[in-house]
Amino acid sequence: MILGDFGTSYCKFLDLDAPGGGEPTIIATRELPRETRVKLATGHLGKRFADRYVNELIALARGGEALIREDDYVLLDCGSRDIKFIKYQKGKLADMGWNAECGASMGFTIELLERYYELDYTQLRVPEQTFSVTCGVLGMSDIFDTVISGVEVAEAVARFVKGIALNAYRFAGSPARLYLSGGLCDNPLFVGSFPCQVMPLGRFVLLRGLEAEAHQPIPPPHA
Amino acid sequence: MNFDPPPSIATLSRFRKIGIIGVPPLEVIRGANEHGLLIHDLDEPLVREDLEAASPFLPRVYCAILRTAVVNALHLELDAIYADTGPGKCDCALHTATILAEALPIPVIRTRNMDSVAFGTPLCQARLPLIERMLAITAGVKSAAPYQNQPPPCAPTAGFWGVPPRDFSILGLFPETTHLYGWARCMENKTPADHDLEARFNPEVPTVFFAQSFCAKTALARYLAKKHPHALYLDVDVHTTSSARAKVQAFLELSGVKS
Repeated sequence: MILGDFGTSYCKFLDLDAPGGGEPTIIATRELPRETRVKLATGHLGKRFADRYVNELIALARGGEALIREDDYVLLDCGSRDIKFIKYQKGKLADMGWNAECGASMGFTIELLERYYELDYTQLRVPEQTFSVTCGVLGMSDIFDTVISGVEVAEAVARFVKGIALNAYRFAGSPARLYLSGGLCDNPLFVGSFPCQVMPLGRFVLLRGLEAEAHQPIPPPHA
Repeated sequence: MNFDPPPSIATLSRFRKIGIIGVPPLEVIRGANEHGLLIHDLDEPLVREDLEAASPFLPRVYCAILRTAVVNALHLELDAIYADTGPGKCDCALHTATILAEALPIPVIRTRNMDSVAFGTPLCQARLPLIERMLAITAGVKSAAPYQNQPPPCAPTAGFWGVPPRDFSILGLFPETTHLYGWARCMENKTPADHDLEARFNPEVPTVFFAQSFCAKTALARYLAKKHPHALYLDVDVHTTSSARAKVQAFLELSGVKS
């Protein structure tokens, strides 16, 4: 059985029938063959390619249940297009959020800026200052204004990245400790910009959630 | 604050087709029923017109239900509008009524519904599709007749607290055993200004606390959601977004609510 997390910028796959359970694979969404089919999918493009679809919040929650051995935690997923979180208390769902509008395009913008300005996020330090960023698109104006005022491009971009991290942190309820999901786990500037303890879980958390769902009986359709 | 005097039977008899905003007093509805008037509930989408048609009169960032009411009022050929602007509705409706009174060549009569006779809330507790029940509740504001053939109550497995949403599609995600709370319940009870009834909820069942974006009830919805041990606060503007649908779906499924 092949599982797929069809994200805005990247698609991740896991073949449960591969020897040893298989290792997840990843390709850029723009390179995805149109004839791709999987058994079980999540991600905002997932419905096009799958027999059965699991919504992203459920996949995130199931992934958290599979990977985190605690009863109380907050798990935040920062994607290309949106941010979402799940909060568990005493092993039960306590809160959740999905910001696809005001949190729009944050991850996408971070990657775009790295390429455009030819930056390496592993080489940038976490800045003292930050921007008040609520949206990737609107935050771009702050970068341009700051560069015009004489600040180095790398510093301006770093402030932007920190602003995005702070916005995501507040969106998740400002926890003392945060489990992080998504490709931005590999961005040390982003991870280091959170004002709390961060436990990166990588970009395959939703796939792990799908794996847990795959082992459940197929639910009846909603009323 | 001045409110227009209650309409006499004679006043209503001059009209054939009226629009209502919010829930006007039962006296108005009863009079309209007795004279066989056609009543349009302007809070519901009734005409195929873009909400932008309301923008010359109301800000774009404003309650979608009142923007809908303005679009309806502009495009339906009404003889009068009865807008409830008391504690059973909101200040936004009061200002909307003021604006419509100047924009339209028909009487826009402001009412203050303080009705306190409880009609009961059988639909809020029945086992039926939620959309079907909400449609019946909203249709009920056009009649002053007591309820007949009340469906039996069921044991709740989930709760929906709030107003009838502008986009009913979100209600399709809930199981038939969802109980209704909030202003929708006050509507069915025909006591729209009963704030005590509005604030009640059942802490035993997972509940979605819903409000229209930019509505004053967002504060109450969020406040009550924080008090409830197992709640999701949700606000939606004109249409139910995919993320709003996903939140409700995930909340119900992760809370163990069976569809």
